[in-house]
Amino acid sequence: MSRTSIRNKLILSFLLLLLLLMMVIAAINRLTDDYYTAQAISVALALAAGAVFGGYFSKSIVRRLNSLSAVAREVSHGDLSKDIPLLSQDEIRDLEEVFASMVKDLREMISDIKNVAGRMEDTNRALSSLSEKVLVSSEEIDESAMAIAKGSEQQTMIVQKTSLVINNSLDQMDAAGRQSARTVSKINNALVKTATGETKARETLRYLDKVLGQIAENTKPIYRLSNKVDKIRMVMHVMDEVAQKTELLSLNASIEATRAGEMGKGFALVANEIRSMAENSKQSSQEIGRIVDDIFQDNKAVIEVLRKSEEDVGKGRGIITGMVGTFREMVSGVKEISAEVKAVEQVTLKQVKEIRGLLRHFEALSRLAQANFVSTQKTTVGTKNQKEGVQKIVELMQSLNALSEKMMASQRRFRLRGD
Amino acid sequence: MDIFIFEAAGHYFGIEARYIYRIADGVVIVPVPLMPGCYEGLIYYRGDLFDVVDMGRLMENEVSTLHDDPYIILLKWNAGKLGLIPDRVVGMKWVEDNGGTGTVFNERGDVVKLMTPDEIWSKLAGLAYGT
Repeated sequence: MSRTSIRNKLILSFLLLLLLLMMVIAAINRLTDDYYTAQAISVALALAAGAVFGGYFSKSIVRRLNSLSAVAREVSHGDLSKDIPLLSQDEIRDLEEVFASMVKDLREMISDIKNVAGRMEDTNRALSSLSEKVLVSSEEIDESAMAIAKGSEQQTMIVQKTSLVINNSLDQMDAAGRQSARTVSKINNALVKTATGETKARETLRYLDKVLGQIAENTKPIYRLSNKVDKIRMVMHVMDEVAQKTELLSLNASIEATRAGEMGKGFALVANEIRSMAENSKQSSQEIGRIVDDIFQDNKAVIEVLRKSEEDVGKGRGIITGMVGTFREMVSGVKEISAEVKAVEQVTLKQVKEIRGLLRHFEALSRLAQANFVSTQKTTVGTKNQKEGVQKIVELMQSLNALSEKMMASQRRFRLRGD
Repeated sequence: MDIFIFEAAGHYFGIEARYIYRIADGVVIVPVPLMPGCYEGLIYYRGDLFDVVDMGRLMENEVSTLHDDPYIILLKWNAGKLGLIPDRVVGMKWVEDNGGTGTVFNERGDVVKLMTPDEIWSKLAGLAYGT
């Protein structure tokens, strides 16, 4: 149906009404010869038709406007469920369509607001829960950061103490290294002295061999003297025997002379003289024997001394031979000790180097622990700020929640289709 | 009279010279069993057997101080033959005759006990085995 404006309707209606009046007036004029009557009847009919037409037309417009006004009133009360009746094809229909479009937009907007408010409420609830969790997490992070800070502080202290201990150990190891170096130097000196001692002992050994040879050479005449003394003693023994036999002979001669009586007195004198000579000879022989014995004893003592000296020198030679061996072993042992001490020194130096590296690592660890401490302090501050921020967010969320509730309350004032 | 003086066990003893047969040495003494301790044994000297006694042990019962080759004073008288082993032979000495017994003094003033062979034999015969 095409649109017709109210003005056109009015013109068309007026023209129709006018045509109808003219036809009625024409009819009346045919029926009545009275002009005035005809005129009055025509005017009355025109006025009545105008009033009926005007009333009907205005009532029609007012009724539609009232219907629109009633719907507008319902909308103003929040009831957006009503449809706007589109009854005409004139300017009021435009108003009705605009109003319907407005109600439709308002309905969609309210629906959107409702959705947004619901989403906002859900989001707000989720944000509140998340904020609480963030708060709890922040507190946990804060506690953890405090614990880490405390641990970092303790770690720093431990690392510093450990570094101090390692430093002391390094000093001691340095001292040990220096002592090892001094020991190596002393061992080298000892090695030189031991080698010198070995050389001296070898020289002493050669000198002792020479002395032993000289003693053996010097002993030979004494041994020869001893042999001669033995021979003298044998001779003396023979002389003793002769003297004894002479004495015995003189004694028996004296006995025989005694038996012979006066005749034997001269013989007895001779026998006595012989015995006296034998006695003298025996005494002299004994004296010589004593002297020879003395010589023999002296010679024996000298030989004993020489033998003792030879033995002592031999023992000394053995001792010095042992000393040479001992010096050789000492040289070998000192070389081994020197090698061992050098190895210990090398190991100590290596240990010092490695511990220095370890100390550097510890220092880095100390710096890291300090940095951790600072970072945890910063983290604590950050978590504190975060906590405050989250609390502000919570406050904003609460206000947003209030707004959302208010919006929901406002939205609840509207009634949509299906509510 | 002439007496023959010898020393045994620190004492001096004298025997009249006429009883002295010989002074011997270097003779082998053959031990005889079951005899007194002072009895050294038998020797055979120029056709005679002599009993040999240690004078120190016989007279003073001292421990024998015999050396390897002692002098043996050989006595020969009517009753028998006896060999005496002294510690030391002093020699002949002339003293006044007093019957062959008693004591005299030597040149140094030491007491010399005079004995006869019979006295020595009697003393030896009076000893038991092993004494």
